[in-house]
Amino acid sequence: MPDFFARPGLLFVLATILPLVSFLLILLASGAWCLARKYRETLGEGPYRFFGGDKPGKLPAYVALAAIFLAFVCCATGFVLYYLDHHKYLHDVEHAEHQIEELEHQLHETEDEATKKQLETNLNDYKKGIPSREREWQRLRKEKWQGTLFTLASIRPSALVDKERGTKLEIGYYIDSLATVMFVMVTFIATLIHLFSIGYMSEEEEEIVEDHYVHGEDGGHYKRRGRFGRFFMYLSLFCFSMLNLILADNLFQVFVSWELVGVCSFLLIGFYFERQSASNAANKAFITNRVGDAGFILGLLIVFGYIGTFNFEGIFTQLRAPIRDAHNSVKTSPVAGRIVRGEVLPLPEEEGGGPGFRFDEKGSQVLLFGRRPHVDVEDVLPTEADGSPRFLTDHGEPQTLTNNPGPADKSTMPYWMLVAAGLGIFLGCVGKSAQFPLQVWLPDAMEGPTPVSALIHAATMVAAGVYLVGRCYPMFTPDVLLVIAYTGAITLFVAASIAIVMTDIKKVLAYSTVSQLGYMMLALGVGGWVAGLFHLVTHAFFKALLFLGSGSVIYGCHHEQDMSKMGGLYPKMKITALTMLAGVLAIAGIPLFSGWYSKDSILAHAIGFAYVHPQHILLFLLPLFTAGITTFYMFRMWFLTFTGEPRDEHVYEHAHESPWTMTTPLILLAICSIAIAWGWPVWDAKSSWLEHKLHTAQHHAVKADFGHVASHHETWPAEAAKPLRFNERHWAHELHDHAGFLALFMVAIGIVFAVLTYYSRVLDPAEAKEQFPGVHAFLVNKWYFDHLYSVCLVRPAIIVARAFRSFDLNCIDGLIHAVSRGTVQLARGNGRFDNGFIDWLVNLTANVTYSVGARLRAVQTGFLRSYVLFLVLAAIGCFVVLSYFVAMATAG
Amino acid sequence: MTITLNHYLLLGAILFVCGAVCMATKRNAIGVLMGVELVLNAATVNFVAFAHYNPSFEIEGQIFAMFVIVMAAAEAAIALAIVLNFYNNHATVDIDTAEELKG
Repeated sequence: MPDFFARPGLLFVLATILPLVSFLLILLASGAWCLARKYRETLGEGPYRFFGGDKPGKLPAYVALAAIFLAFVCCATGFVLYYLDHHKYLHDVEHAEHQIEELEHQLHETEDEATKKQLETNLNDYKKGIPSREREWQRLRKEKWQGTLFTLASIRPSALVDKERGTKLEIGYYIDSLATVMFVMVTFIATLIHLFSIGYMSEEEEEIVEDHYVHGEDGGHYKRRGRFGRFFMYLSLFCFSMLNLILADNLFQVFVSWELVGVCSFLLIGFYFERQSASNAANKAFITNRVGDAGFILGLLIVFGYIGTFNFEGIFTQLRAPIRDAHNSVKTSPVAGRIVRGEVLPLPEEEGGGPGFRFDEKGSQVLLFGRRPHVDVEDVLPTEADGSPRFLTDHGEPQTLTNNPGPADKSTMPYWMLVAAGLGIFLGCVGKSAQFPLQVWLPDAMEGPTPVSALIHAATMVAAGVYLVGRCYPMFTPDVLLVIAYTGAITLFVAASIAIVMTDIKKVLAYSTVSQLGYMMLALGVGGWVAGLFHLVTHAFFKALLFLGSGSVIYGCHHEQDMSKMGGLYPKMKITALTMLAGVLAIAGIPLFSGWYSKDSILAHAIGFAYVHPQHILLFLLPLFTAGITTFYMFRMWFLTFTGEPRDEHVYEHAHESPWTMTTPLILLAICSIAIAWGWPVWDAKSSWLEHKLHTAQHHAVKADFGHVASHHETWPAEAAKPLRFNERHWAHELHDHAGFLALFMVAIGIVFAVLTYYSRVLDPAEAKEQFPGVHAFLVNKWYFDHLYSVCLVRPAIIVARAFRSFDLNCIDGLIHAVSRGTVQLARGNGRFDNGFIDWLVNLTANVTYSVGARLRAVQTGFLRSYVLFLVLAAIGCFVVLSYFVAMATAG
Repeated sequence: MTITLNHYLLLGAILFVCGAVCMATKRNAIGVLMGVELVLNAATVNFVAFAHYNPSFEIEGQIFAMFVIVMAAAEAAIALAIVLNFYNNHATVDIDTAEELKG
């Protein structure tokens, strides 16, 4: 226990392990139940009853709920401890950095020499103050919030000069603001969803559950035992995997959890696996994710091969130029914090020869910094006008790239390899976060129970992709970031457009999830690192709320999911309707709801990016336009469900409000959806408390890539000093307001259309459908993605599979059959040969022997005198023969 | 006329033939035994004659003759015992009745 005070990071490790313990407990108990049932005749009914008997008990749910709730308590404690520590050391640093930026800006603007001098003095004072504070915090964090739990394997080539630098596979923990926020968010939502599930899954407690969607052979409904315990077992395993993913301090650990999360998703989507659609959806989700994971593995291999470590910090320090130099003052070099590209060229003779490195914006190589611990940003400066290659150590001594003590002995890696690694890892995220073009699995995943849809396919698992993009940000090159941004932009628009026409309440939410994930990816791609992850957190709350709300509606309407059969449910389920309205307002981005802060922030970054790069204006227009669409379809869903005339009397009459286990999570989530992002002042979109906290987790690389560069180094050529992209800081505030205003305008249009169409019924949606049948069909068929994949991939795969099957059946099997038939024939021939010839030969011998014996019998007359006669004759015979030979011998 | 080896051999041959014919023709068991004695004596005569006319065979020939005589005695004793038994069982010494060994 005292360890927790010394290393509070272990609280999060404990929180991760708790769901695993719950999973194992339930697994062992169910295993024991199976054994007890199998041997109940020998063991008696006692053990069988003890482990649950015929009726699935509620106990697994309580175990899982207790585990996840305890995990939440741990996380919340850790969160508080982290921010107490953090505040103590970093508040000053942040304040000073802010002051420095202000002063540098003033310095840039001012003309007066005296003021300039005064400003420079102030600036230097601030700069001196920062490093000690920050270094203190770094030390503290390494001691308390980071660590390695196990080393699974350690690879140390014998040729290694530096024995400490071998590649290791480790299980560790790495807690920063992002991880703490994610931990609290995941455990909180998971706790509520566990609670909700106890109500929602109550049917599974029965001894016999009738599945209305599956028909047995006799035409009746399929009957099975309830799977209450199994559901909570999967949930626990899922929570463990997700928390382990957030906890991870290296890509290897992330990959392990990544796959576990995928498996849990597979198991939970296919929870009703007797239904053909559910098992298909589970397969689809798993296989689609495999496509992404193939990319992930490629990325991992490249990282392993060139950088030689999976540790996040290890990778980032090697790829990104150090932002502080040996003396710990703030660096102003334009490459500080950025990926340094260049060419490897031979050094001149007078500097010792050997390969040297020349900085070049479009160079084919990337410099790996961690391999050369003494290398400073200044050292890669092209100090001579002709750009001759130089690479200097701290002491100004020229150093060639070969005398570098790295494990792979590499000081540089090819730039295209880094791009490939980034794209590969991003492809993994595309699969998991259901981005274009792998978005097809998420809507189908709605086959799983609704709490699963809320937990996995809205709040956590799909968030893992976005989270990983955020975590791995420093290893993404500008090209990869652009791909990320465009992927997000396409996804958010495509998904939102499909959501307009969906009538299944869960499918609307599924497409809205895909769309919102697109927003996050877009934000990460255009440098809105904080905005993207901020939206991830707020979205998790309101999407979990919306899904649980839809679950409550579905539960109340006896598993009716089609909105065209609902309507007018507001009086019947007021709590559900009102809490869902809060979620709708939040996702639409109505001011003061949590979604407003995060979406505003995303749009501000998009407009800033588009401002600097006008050719990428689409990256702003698409999300802006989609903000309106989002509002429209969310209000459409709410109006169709809760207002108007009941469209199906049967559903309406049976509709009822859900029990407290389901409404409590709804109310708590509604409160979070409204207030989770508030800050002071509440009406300022830029003042969100959560955004501010996430900001402290942002890697300095983000700012180096996108931020404002204050000073201009004289020795750098003009193009080298230009940052990759440029969100001019002083335009940003103004642009932020513009973006917010435009977004509100679009939202207002969306609401007006939704109200006119689905509430006051001034516009008739059926008419629109008739007028644009092509568009409607296009959207209902989900842009024909499923058809496209079916035609391009699934059917060819099936055709190839059939071809192989027939090849297998005809050729391979034919060959085997022929061989076997031949063998049978051969065996028959062999048998005949054996029976006919060998046996004949043996019989012949026996027969001959017999008949010879029978003949010779006659010789044995039994008369003594004839024997004597034979003796005499034989003696005479011998005599004759002998004398013949003697005669021959004497004659010879 | 000097008596040479051939005379002895001729005697032996005559004795042998007499014995063999006796064995082959007599139905009486005693007669057959007498034939056997004649054959053995023919051999003894040959051995002694060779011993006499071939110095390198002197001792061996005589010893073989002694052996044959001893063996003839032993044979006569055993054969007569067999004949006596045969007679006890069959009340005859006709060897043609002893045909149980017929194949």
